[in-house]
Formats: sequence, C-alpha cells, structure tokens
Amino acid sequence: MKDLLKLKSSLAEEIENILNAQIKVEAHASALYLAMSSWCDDQGFDNAAAFFARQSDEERAHMLKLFKYVGDRGGRAISPEITNVPTDFESFRGVFEQTLEQEMFVTEQFNNIADVCMKSKDYVTFNFVQWFLEEQVEEEYVARRIIELFDVIGEQGTGQWEIDKHLVKVTFDEA
Amino acid sequence: MICPLANVEKVFDTEHGVVYQCSRQNCYWLEFQGTTTAFKISDLFLFKKRIDAIDIEAMLSESSRSYDFEIVMPFRTERCYLLNVSDILNLREILAGTKFMIQLNSEVKRCLRRGCVIA
Repeated sequence: MKDLLKLKSSLAEEIENILNAQIKVEAHASALYLAMSSWCDDQGFDNAAAFFARQSDEERAHMLKLFKYVGDRGGRAISPEITNVPTDFESFRGVFEQTLEQEMFVTEQFNNIADVCMKSKDYVTFNFVQWFLEEQVEEEYVARRIIELFDVIGEQGTGQWEIDKHLVKVTFDEA
Repeated sequence: MICPLANVEKVFDTEHGVVYQCSRQNCYWLEFQGTTTAFKISDLFLFKKRIDAIDIEAMLSESSRSYDFEIVMPFRTERCYLLNVSDILNLREILAGTKFMIQLNSEVKRCLRRGCVIA
C-alpha cells in the first residue's frame, strides 16, 4: 500500500503538534509585549514603550518562522487564538520581571521541543530549533540586565526616568 | 459509490464501516451509514479530530433534543453526517483504526526502504 502519509508530510504528528503549540506561545508573547508597550506609553515611559513594541514584532517574527517551517515540511500550521492578554500591570519594574519570566518560559518550551525531537530522532527539526535556543540566551540576558538597572539606578526621584533612558542601551554582546 | 477507476485497498473495517485507500488518486474512501466519501489524507485526519472533539458527555447529559444529534459537514465533501452517540462511537472506532493502520503502513514502508538501501 502506497505511503500517503509521508507523501503529505515529513513531520510526525507529535512534532507538528508541539510546533503549533509553540506558535501559540510566540503569538501570545507578541500580544503580551504589545500590551506592555501600551501600558508603558500610558505611564510616560517612551523608551520602554518602543522597546516592547520591538519585542512584540520580534515575537511575531518568531511565530512566522515556526509557521513557515511547519508548512515547508508538509504540516499544517494553525493560526492561534490568543486569549488572556492583560491590559494593566503592577509596576514599571514588574513589567520587566514578567518579561524575564515569559522569556524563561519560552526557553523551557524550546528545551522541551528539542527533547521531543531528540527522542523521536527528528534531527532536522532539532537543528531548526537551535536558532531559537541561541536567541533565548539574548532575550533572557537583556531582560535580566534591565531589571538590574532598577537596583543600580534606583526608582526614587528621577530614577524611573533614568531607567527608561538607559534601558535602550542594554545590548547582548556575543563572546 | 467508489469511482470504478479507483485502485483501492482496504485500510481498516469494522461491522459499521470501512476505509479504503486509493493509491491512484492518493485518497481515502470512507464507507459509513450507507454512504461513501472521499478524503485527502490531511482532510481525513482533520475529520477525525472533529469527530474526536465532539462532547459525548454533554450529548448524554443534556435533556434538550438538539443535543441528541451532531451534524458534521466535512469541508471539500458533499457529505452531511447526522450522528447520534452510537454513530459517533462507531465512527471514532473506524477512524482510530484507520489512522493506526496508515501510521503502521508508513512505519513498515520506512523499515523496508531502509532494508532495501542498507542491506
């Protein structure tokens, strides 16, 4: 009997499902950062608002990269439904702490994907997710460094204004 | 009725229905409730997902008559299935068996290919 399954797709169902789940995670992250951008703008933190708008675009680009890969391998990428996007945040510092938590969650997700790929011997997808894992080093670094600015500069007086001014200068420098 | 030009092989059957694969047209034929419907492989799996997602518990527990039947109209077919709980369970059995046999066939083919090339 002809193998119609492989003629249609090179992706195992399990891999296609976890990649679609990750597409949803990235889309949610994009929506979350857009909400943070709006909140920062509302609070008068111009640079932070621009930072989160860029982050939002970046997460969407990640989502589209996954989306294209699923399609390229013969799978069906699913445009996700995004719910539970917050509109309000506790504090300026809290926004960045939530960002770091979000990035650490994404790293954990990609680690799980790599683990599943390894177990199912899908080294093509394993190789594909390496790019994301490397990207996560930068994402976590930047979020952590910005949180440290809150301690280094302090939030009293014009502190928040200083933090907003300096957070754009945080960049990741690969060795 | 299955196209007379089709080159079909039985994939899986139960007393309630059967699925054939047509390797000429690269599609599957589902015989169920006295009807025959052709699906491409991705559509067949989507159809299975749709049937698996039906909330049977709600159908059994809700007293409203609208819960007695589920209407399913798969895309790219001219079929409209009117399913009661028993039909859904029967259809799930056919589709689960079919999916397993398709995956098993794929795995067997993979092993055979490997054997041909490496042996």
